[in-house]
Amino acid sequence: MTIPLYLAVAQWALLFALGLLVFVMYRQLGRIYQATTKTSADSELGPAVDTMAASFEYTLLSDGTAQHFTPGGGRPSLLAFVDPTCPACEQLVSALNAAADGAELDDFRVLLLTSDPPAYLQVSDTFRATRLEIGRPAARATQDDYKATSTPLLVVIDAHGVVRAAGSVRHLSDVRTFINKTTANTTAQGHLPPVAVSAPVSAINPEE
Amino acid sequence: MLVLCAKAAFAVILIIAGGAKLADLAGFAEVLRLFIGTRWPAPAYTCIATGTAFAEVLLGCASLSFPAAKWVNLLALIAGCAFVIVSVTGLALHRGRSCNCFGALSRIKFDVQGVFRSVIFAVFAVLAMIGVGPSAVRLGVTTQALLLAAGAMLISVSFAAAKALAALPEDIRRVRSR
Repeated sequence: MTIPLYLAVAQWALLFALGLLVFVMYRQLGRIYQATTKTSADSELGPAVDTMAASFEYTLLSDGTAQHFTPGGGRPSLLAFVDPTCPACEQLVSALNAAADGAELDDFRVLLLTSDPPAYLQVSDTFRATRLEIGRPAARATQDDYKATSTPLLVVIDAHGVVRAAGSVRHLSDVRTFINKTTANTTAQGHLPPVAVSAPVSAINPEE
Repeated sequence: MLVLCAKAAFAVILIIAGGAKLADLAGFAEVLRLFIGTRWPAPAYTCIATGTAFAEVLLGCASLSFPAAKWVNLLALIAGCAFVIVSVTGLALHRGRSCNCFGALSRIKFDVQGVFRSVIFAVFAVLAMIGVGPSAVRLGVTTQALLLAAGAMLISVSFAAAKALAALPEDIRRVRSR
């Protein structure tokens, strides 16, 4: 018994389409699970507050020179672990750009760190347009030291090199919350208090 | 062989597109609003969107199950040409807007790539018009019923997949984790 050629072709086309759609659904299922479940990795996102931030070497992507980042040094720092291929990271970089344009980051040293290849910067309009410093860590150890297990991750380091806040934030209001709290307490107490560890966006109240 | 592949592929594309549109009729109605100059009540757009989506799945199922029917191939060709016209018009008038061609399954926009894609679909439809040997497309009633059932399954899976993708806000859907 022979089957018509069309039937053979059609069943392969159907199988491919069904397989593709099932893959899409499973991938989405994983994302929903990830978005709604607090995993152990989430709780370990970012360095612990009140600990000394690690120094590291990085390559400045604008000119390719090797640089050394030393936390503290009398000036607070904002480290943003971001990638041009990550839409949430683009939101954070846009927020940082807006804050920088509004002179809200004048007291901070701001450094964007990406693990993506430099060519990927051209993919994102936001990354291409930013005037903030963008660096690439020289070693994977930097991501490990800062527990940058996912992007975006914003880390606030005080003028003494102590981590004061870390979290996955992306909106300007959240960035302002970090900045306002740290600057307010720096003025009042001479040092920055802890703000939040691995604070999810929803946990940060911009009204505060 | 190429003709048969094009015929089956276009039928499957129609079914997936129709099923996904059924999952997001409101979104597709918004796209229709862009193309209809006169202002109508909102339910009118939803009705047209529903009709279009059903027409797509019916045409897809018919094309899948009745490959020898010339009128089905002709309708598929008209649909393919309509895709090209819509994508070119969208490129000219609403460049960068989402076309909702596959509902939430894809983020295809009215751009040059979108026109290129629709031209490929139209080429599939043109190839499907080419005659093939009767033995290659002669299907029994049972086989046709099986293909119809497979088509119905594909509609339900594409509907479910599109619904699942639309279940989360855009920014959460696109968050990349490592």
